[in-house]
Amino acid sequence: MSKFKLEILTPDGEIFNGDVSSVTLPGEEGEFGVLPEHASLMTQLKTGVVDIELEDKKTESILIDWGFAQVDEKKVIVLAKGAVAIRGSNESEISKALENAKKLLEEVADSNTAIASVSSKLESAAKSILK
Amino acid sequence: MANLKDIQRKIKSVSSTQKTTRAMKLVSTAKLRRAEELAKRSKKFANKLNEVIAEISGRIKCSKLDGLDSIRYLANNENPQMVDIIFITADKGLCGGFNSQTIKAAKNLLSEFHDKKVKVRLRGVGKKGIEYFKYNEIELLDEVVGLSSKPEQERSDEFIQASIEDYKAGKTDAVYIVYNGYKNMLTQQLHVNKILPLDAEDFSCEDCPSGSLLEIEASDQEKLLTDLIEIYIKSNMYYALIDSVAAEHSARMQAMDTATNNAKEMVRSLNVAYNKARQAAITTELIEIISGVESMK
Repeated sequence: MSKFKLEILTPDGEIFNGDVSSVTLPGEEGEFGVLPEHASLMTQLKTGVVDIELEDKKTESILIDWGFAQVDEKKVIVLAKGAVAIRGSNESEISKALENAKKLLEEVADSNTAIASVSSKLESAAKSILK
Repeated sequence: MANLKDIQRKIKSVSSTQKTTRAMKLVSTAKLRRAEELAKRSKKFANKLNEVIAEISGRIKCSKLDGLDSIRYLANNENPQMVDIIFITADKGLCGGFNSQTIKAAKNLLSEFHDKKVKVRLRGVGKKGIEYFKYNEIELLDEVVGLSSKPEQERSDEFIQASIEDYKAGKTDAVYIVYNGYKNMLTQQLHVNKILPLDAEDFSCEDCPSGSLLEIEASDQEKLLTDLIEIYIKSNMYYALIDSVAAEHSARMQAMDTATNNAKEMVRSLNVAYNKARQAAITTELIEIISGVESMK
């Protein structure tokens, strides 16, 4: 199966680094999906959720506040100012991650509608992990 | 007998100094571990950002994207008129040559520019460097204390923003940053980095992946690149601060280790001197008693 490398970094460290089969990024001018062999692209990202589909069909969601994405045929690099990964092995870990994500969201988002739409996405992502 | 007391007093004073230096070493070791961890983590981000910037600025140069040559950040000025030098030193001393190395490097850079008749503005971070330049009556444009011992993203952004603004407005033609960075537990490495304008030289056109033209997806390409470069500069500044803290602690740890060892050696030789003096005193006393007894016979 085709795959490409995805790296998500913030000044406080690496959030994600690994092979994925597809990723959806919150671009400045709307969400866009990236599959392997995507043409080179450089774009700004806004507050939103990065949806990652791993090679084994598992999904992962990472909240980012603001950043840049560099895409080329073999890799995607996301440089964000702040990011929180929604992951964990049990309910309490996930709800803690969710809480951290919401805190970050409230710090950066400027409008209530943006907060609402992103946080509903985060919650559905958290639910899907628990299932 | 006065000699004995003197030596005893000296021993006491040296061993209490030794206690202090040992405690300082332990504190630095603990702090170093944390700072090192932080530096490692942000190094990844800084390196990645450098890669991305190098690639993009190289591609811009190769493909000659329209309207992007005008970005001032990328324009390399051969004859700068005004240069900003930012130096980062510690707020505290007692860390060996850590501060003086940075100051020396900053001074060298300063005189280099003076020889070329380039005006220089100094912006200092850290009490020690600021004190030095003030003492030597060299004017500082800006001074920040407390940032180098406890780097904070926000304050660092604020500090560098002033330099960015001046550069953008054309007041300065280049920005340098001088700091002592962390290499490993035992060594520090001095960095003199030119952070503005960006050098696109390292990237040759042959490295461009063929058939892949860079597309910048944004209504305003120039704004995107400007934003990216500003993030790059800010992250460079923040990283320099973090790196400098780690280096400061490693330098202090070493200096204090040496000081502790020296104190130990000194106590040892003082002890020998003390024993010798004690023996001499006892011998004299014995002789006095014996000769006293002899004379009474």
